[in-house]
Amino acid sequence: MIHRFLDTVWGQAMNLLTAPIRHRRWIDLLVLAALVGTLAALWLVGKEWTAVQRPTVEIALSAWALPKYLLLSLIRAIAAYVVSLAFTLVVAYWAAKDPRAERVLVPILDILQSVPLLAFLPPVLLLMLTLFPRSNIGLELSAILLIVTCQAWNMAFSFYQSLKTLPKELEETSSLYGFTWVQKLRWVEIPFATPGLVWNSMVSVANSWFFLMSAEAFHAGNKNFQLPGLGSYMNTAVEQGSTRAQIYAIVTMLVLVILLDQLVWRPVVAWSQRFQVDEGGEVDPGENWLLLLFRRSRLLKWLEKRRNQRLHQRTPRPAFIRKAHEEFQRPGRLGSWVASSAMVGILALLSLGAFSVVRLLAEVSGPKWLVLLKAGGASLSRVLLSTFLATLWTLPVGLWIGMSPKWSRRLQSVVQVAASFPSSLIFASLILVFSSLGIGLGVSCVLLMVLSTQWYLLFNIIAGAQAIPADLREASTAYRMSLWKRCWNLYFPAVFPFLVTGWVTATGGAWNASIITEIVTTKQHTLRTFGLGAEVVLATEQGSMPHLAASALLMAALVVLFNRLVWVPLYRLAETRYALNR
Amino acid sequence: MQLPYTSPICELRGVQMRFPGPRGGVQRVLEDIRLEVRPDEILCLIGPNGSGKSTLLRLLAGLMPPTQGEVRHHGEKLDGLNPGVAMVFQSFALYPWMTVEENVRVVLRARDLPEGEVRERAHQAIRKVGLEGFEEAFPRELSRGTKQRVGVARALAVDPEILVMDEPFSQVDALTAEALRAEIMDIWADKERNPSAIVMVSQSIREALLMADRVAVLSGSPGTLRTIVEVPMARPRDSRSPEFMKLVDHLHDIFTSAELPDVQVTAPIPSAAAQEDQVEPLPMAQSGDILGLLEFLETQGGTSDLFQVASHTHVAFEKVLTTVKAAEMLDLVDTPKRAVLLTPLGKRFVNANMDDRKDLWRAQLLELRLFRVVQEMMHLEEGELSEETLLQELATRLPMEDPEKTFETLVAWGRFGELFAYREERGVLTPE
Repeated sequence: MIHRFLDTVWGQAMNLLTAPIRHRRWIDLLVLAALVGTLAALWLVGKEWTAVQRPTVEIALSAWALPKYLLLSLIRAIAAYVVSLAFTLVVAYWAAKDPRAERVLVPILDILQSVPLLAFLPPVLLLMLTLFPRSNIGLELSAILLIVTCQAWNMAFSFYQSLKTLPKELEETSSLYGFTWVQKLRWVEIPFATPGLVWNSMVSVANSWFFLMSAEAFHAGNKNFQLPGLGSYMNTAVEQGSTRAQIYAIVTMLVLVILLDQLVWRPVVAWSQRFQVDEGGEVDPGENWLLLLFRRSRLLKWLEKRRNQRLHQRTPRPAFIRKAHEEFQRPGRLGSWVASSAMVGILALLSLGAFSVVRLLAEVSGPKWLVLLKAGGASLSRVLLSTFLATLWTLPVGLWIGMSPKWSRRLQSVVQVAASFPSSLIFASLILVFSSLGIGLGVSCVLLMVLSTQWYLLFNIIAGAQAIPADLREASTAYRMSLWKRCWNLYFPAVFPFLVTGWVTATGGAWNASIITEIVTTKQHTLRTFGLGAEVVLATEQGSMPHLAASALLMAALVVLFNRLVWVPLYRLAETRYALNR
Repeated sequence: MQLPYTSPICELRGVQMRFPGPRGGVQRVLEDIRLEVRPDEILCLIGPNGSGKSTLLRLLAGLMPPTQGEVRHHGEKLDGLNPGVAMVFQSFALYPWMTVEENVRVVLRARDLPEGEVRERAHQAIRKVGLEGFEEAFPRELSRGTKQRVGVARALAVDPEILVMDEPFSQVDALTAEALRAEIMDIWADKERNPSAIVMVSQSIREALLMADRVAVLSGSPGTLRTIVEVPMARPRDSRSPEFMKLVDHLHDIFTSAELPDVQVTAPIPSAAAQEDQVEPLPMAQSGDILGLLEFLETQGGTSDLFQVASHTHVAFEKVLTTVKAAEMLDLVDTPKRAVLLTPLGKRFVNANMDDRKDLWRAQLLELRLFRVVQEMMHLEEGELSEETLLQELATRLPMEDPEKTFETLVAWGRFGELFAYREERGVLTPE
């Protein structure tokens, strides 16, 4: 028995494991190493999570501790991403298929993806702490939940939109050939949604680095919480004034962002190209060195073969199961029952939430509201000023990069990495530097907002400049337009739709930044300026729920109003008058 | 070659199809259709735009239920998908993320066949259309003709009794279409195997006559079945044989008498009060195309044949038909039988300079009640008529038409005649 086991399973496994070493197939070795690494990481995380809750963890500032912290932060982000993806698949699918749910869920998703979520982190946090008072799991889960709140909405919205815009003929073939809903989801809907989902995943993961600083270290009431991770490492480094450790952390983050870009996003984007429904258009073959290597990997080929064999052996389902399946595919009684009760649950939760919020808001006094409104005005003007400043330099530079094929090839990936580097990581350090130079927080706030939002703009403008048709550029040259005329007649109108998209993202980012930058606490001193972001943080520190609810909701309302009144009309203008593809 | 009559595979009985139109109207697409699909036949559907050909195919496939009447499959009323039908789409409808092979296999997997059989049948189907060697290719790597082959292979893989094709060759270049058509005929000709029947929407009379045993002629909105023409010729058919030419002529006559009846289209001055609200539906033709038609007629000595126009100008027949209808409505051409000839007014128009042309055009527009209504409305609204108001008006006055499309044509004609200006961004019409 044992011999047979050794011969078959063990022997094969050893063969498989040693084959790469014998044949020096480096990529297989890498795959193996990654497997071992993942196992080790899981063990470490398990140990960490089940430990007894310690409100503050001693963070070691040595460079050798960094890989561990990086790993813990990474695992948090990955776990949050998995939750977000599951949320996306379930909620967006539900919203797309059930008209009643659609009417409630879609506006909620739309608002959630545009409001500054950092303002809503404190209440979520307080909730999680009361749910898990004992072990570290509560803290970890709340950190993960915080990250989920900054990842899930845009992904869900993108998936919902893909489901809604599935081309009619693909829809028709899947019903013509009798796909069940599961088959349709697997073979048609998810593939069709993949490019949008991949793009939004990149945005979401980049967002989660931005939120890491706040998710790993927070003050609530009189308690301070800290989880071991890259964010808290940076916090400690700033508090203790260790420049060396700050540089370590920044370099580590940069390495992480670059590695993710090279090892994850590029292969994934290259792979997702095949899901692009783009008949006739020029398709970038989208090759990536890592994807190529993987395609050469024997280990992965073997796994794939095993999977195919399993598929091959699959026996057909008996007729009665299939029948039952078809029953379910129609608006089944069970399905609609579940959906209805879930709907009722959501509505109940919403009204309960609204009720308690109204009760909380009633406690806020009139003068306080006035102060909050003024603070909102101050923050809004900072947000707009920073967007304006960022546009001022990114517009010419972006146009120049985008229209020079050579430079856009060279710089695009740099810009992409820069855009996903979380500027929140260096806010605190920079503010301290600025204040030692005698620059007030009011001004440095704006500068930091520029820092965190300029990349979105630059990225979009480059994309817009690349999309300017060659014949229009040739025409402007042929008619001898001056540079200024060319900008005014062609370049600016042509990139306008992209600019609007950039502005929307940039102002969203700037609002989030306002929460981190308007108030900074270090061991020696607290710096603060007047603004809505500062009000949110103060309310959290004082543990004053009415004040917190009022300032967070006011910020959300400001953003939503601004979207409806300014960005939506601008979008419409961009679509009707300045779209080049009509 | 008249086949002995056997019971039909499928039957449409008194089928009527209506869709909810925009702005609360009802769009009548098909009206009282009776049609059967017999074993071992090729049935072609021809008709102008908006005669509901594609809708008819979708009803047959069971993709949607008819508003009234029923679709029967082997005598049983259809409830849901038609089990005997596979469909080939005009736009191919291939899944771009699947290889050729996967595109075919996926429809077999949906039927829960064991994996071995899935592979075998997919392989057979791919071989049948001559795509061996392309199994691993993605649709984007293929030419349009090859894509449509994959579409055909996918349909054949499920072994359908009826192969339904919606203008399968219209997006494929002429030579490839010829080859593909011949191959499909060969596959169909094997009486031992499915598909037993082919039902196909065709955009050319010649194509229909080359393939079909019966040609069903539909006429325009709402779509009704005008007649069914039997094609008793042995295959392969020669499109230059006198017999063939005679049938082409016959179909041309049916077509024109249905679409351009020899009665006055624009009734002169509505006399009765009952006709107060009646306005004429506009054929969706571009003013540029109408001008082009007149110029072409001028080069032909002022007279031509409807089908000559189509073949000489390489414009799709349906478009020529719409353009001729529009020109006739404006009294610029006349259409006795199949001939198209310039009216005296039309001659004056062609020979005039641009300014005079615009004057003539404007005068002709104001002969139409619809444009007089618009002018009146503009006057009532003190010179600024909103798009929304006009669309509402169009929807009530022309319940059978798509108001957005009518509006588009109306604006284009009116702009050319300098009757009014339209500002898209503000959505208003103002007098010139």
